[in-house]
Amino acid sequence: MTTVKKGASSNLASAQVYGDDSSHQNGKERVSSQRLSTGVPGLDEVLCGGLIPQRAYLLRGGPGCGKTTLGMHFLAAGAANEERCLFISLGESEEEIRQNAEAVGFDMSNINFLDLSPNPDFFAHMESYDIFSPAEVEREPITQKIIEQVEALKPQRVFLDAMTQFRFLSPDAFQFRKQVLSFLRFLIEKGATVLFTSEGSESAPDDDLQFMSDGVIHQDFSPDERILSESKFRGSDFRSGRHSMRLTATGMQVFPRLLPEMYKQEFVAESISSGVAELDEMLHGGLERGTISIITGPSGVGKSTLGLQFMKEAAGRGERSVVYLFEEQQETLLRRCEAVNIPIRTMMEHGTLSVVQVEPLQFTPDQFANIVRREVEQQKTSIVMIDSVSGYRLSLRGDDLVTHLHALCKYLQNMGVAVLLINEVEAITGEFRVTEVGISYLADNIVFLRYLEMQGELHKAIGVLKKRLSSFERTVREFEVTRYGLKVGRPLTGLRGILTGKVEWIEQPTRER
Amino acid sequence: MKTNAAILLVNRNQRNLELLAEFLGKGGYAISTASSLEEFDQALAGEKDVGVALVDITGFDQDIWERCEQLRSKKRPFLVISPRQSVALQQASLSHGARGMMIKPLGVKELIGIIEGMLEEQE
Repeated sequence: MTTVKKGASSNLASAQVYGDDSSHQNGKERVSSQRLSTGVPGLDEVLCGGLIPQRAYLLRGGPGCGKTTLGMHFLAAGAANEERCLFISLGESEEEIRQNAEAVGFDMSNINFLDLSPNPDFFAHMESYDIFSPAEVEREPITQKIIEQVEALKPQRVFLDAMTQFRFLSPDAFQFRKQVLSFLRFLIEKGATVLFTSEGSESAPDDDLQFMSDGVIHQDFSPDERILSESKFRGSDFRSGRHSMRLTATGMQVFPRLLPEMYKQEFVAESISSGVAELDEMLHGGLERGTISIITGPSGVGKSTLGLQFMKEAAGRGERSVVYLFEEQQETLLRRCEAVNIPIRTMMEHGTLSVVQVEPLQFTPDQFANIVRREVEQQKTSIVMIDSVSGYRLSLRGDDLVTHLHALCKYLQNMGVAVLLINEVEAITGEFRVTEVGISYLADNIVFLRYLEMQGELHKAIGVLKKRLSSFERTVREFEVTRYGLKVGRPLTGLRGILTGKVEWIEQPTRER
Repeated sequence: MKTNAAILLVNRNQRNLELLAEFLGKGGYAISTASSLEEFDQALAGEKDVGVALVDITGFDQDIWERCEQLRSKKRPFLVISPRQSVALQQASLSHGARGMMIKPLGVKELIGIIEGMLEEQE
């Protein structure tokens, strides 16, 4: 048994809030103590703890990306802390915003509004004009209203939707820039942290606003998923990359992209026994904690059962395991396991096993990774099985799934979890291939199951192809799933051609088990 | 009050009239307004002394030029305001006695400067 210390020790409890960022990078504290929460679950983590107070942040994205929702979260979080909050709207009316906010469940009662949106009279009573430019006519009264409100309220949080409206109130780009900078400085000097949106598009770029702000949050959406990313954050680090985001009936949620190197957990790299003596013999002890194992084989050969065998043994030691089912129905798995002496319902009742059915197209890879993270960090799970890799690829939305699976596995590895990836190969017999999805490079251990045809009977065989942390038995053994459990026979030393599935005897065997 | 003579504002758009009255009113000028040819006629015939006039031709037909001629005959300087740059409109304005043509949107400072100049001339 070897003790492996991976990185600095981390406190899992704090990792659930924002603190997981502080547990890496040689233990250096990179997060300033005072941060303002955005109120969006997961976004503070992307921002390394939240927004730095008294700065101005730009929120940009196309229509329907969730800019106003994020703003409501920001103000509601402030109001919950009894901070003075101000919503300055140049587009939607106060009534509309309040209705939308209440529909999502925000408490807007303590939030002040400055509604600068055009009223219906502008249209109905012919209030449109052309004699002077809007910059001459509207700027002064709007500025005056803002100054009055800010002076009176002294808000700590200001959300302005949308700053680009001011572009129409400036005679030229230079004056717009100067006015925005001066306006932001005015708000900040009054003690506010400002979040402002822009309605940027290809025809009306908002690059100038990006230069002027202290931080830029981008929101984007594709048919498959909503994405949030950060491109600038003065005075702070941030989690780069594209993070998955959800807009639900209860608001917004961000699922930070999993960066495995940020999570380190001290663990003992001991072997986990399968509980089947012959199998442990083959693996020279078992599968180690903090390793990734691929169990590969054709359909129905017993891959999931083999994985669950390790979990059954772990449950006996009081350890918790989780199975993510991407293909099979939970009920089918439960019945199947009970038929082969794996007391799966009892394990579930005792909390030593959780079987999670993942419906197709339900999650993006980031969302799934966050679910796994919560499981590992909150429930102290020690074995995670993904059944199966091809199911993962088919069920999750988005591209580049192998990379996401890689990141998830590396994270689990760093957390000392034993990862079991169930991989189905389509070929029942024939040329041997470890996987058909190009993930074998991930594996520390590869255990394969094969069908063999021997004297007109279909048999199963098990073998170990790779094991990084220890030596292993290089022979293939017969494998059987019986109602008493898994059975692994003696090494099949008298055969050749096992990997092709067409077995020939080198000498007449004396079959015994 | 810089002068007793009023500035006659002719404009079909009520909001334009309000804005012009607001900005020029800040400068201390007396204002009278007309939003139709009838009102224009009344203003020309009225007792109130018209010093200078700003005639926005937007929305008026050819008859507007006849009223411009009346301003000329009364020796009241006036400016024509046009929604677009057009040589034909400019020529028509000048030939009917306008001091010049301004294109919308107007700059407030520039407008006040020109009006001030015209009123001084009147005095």
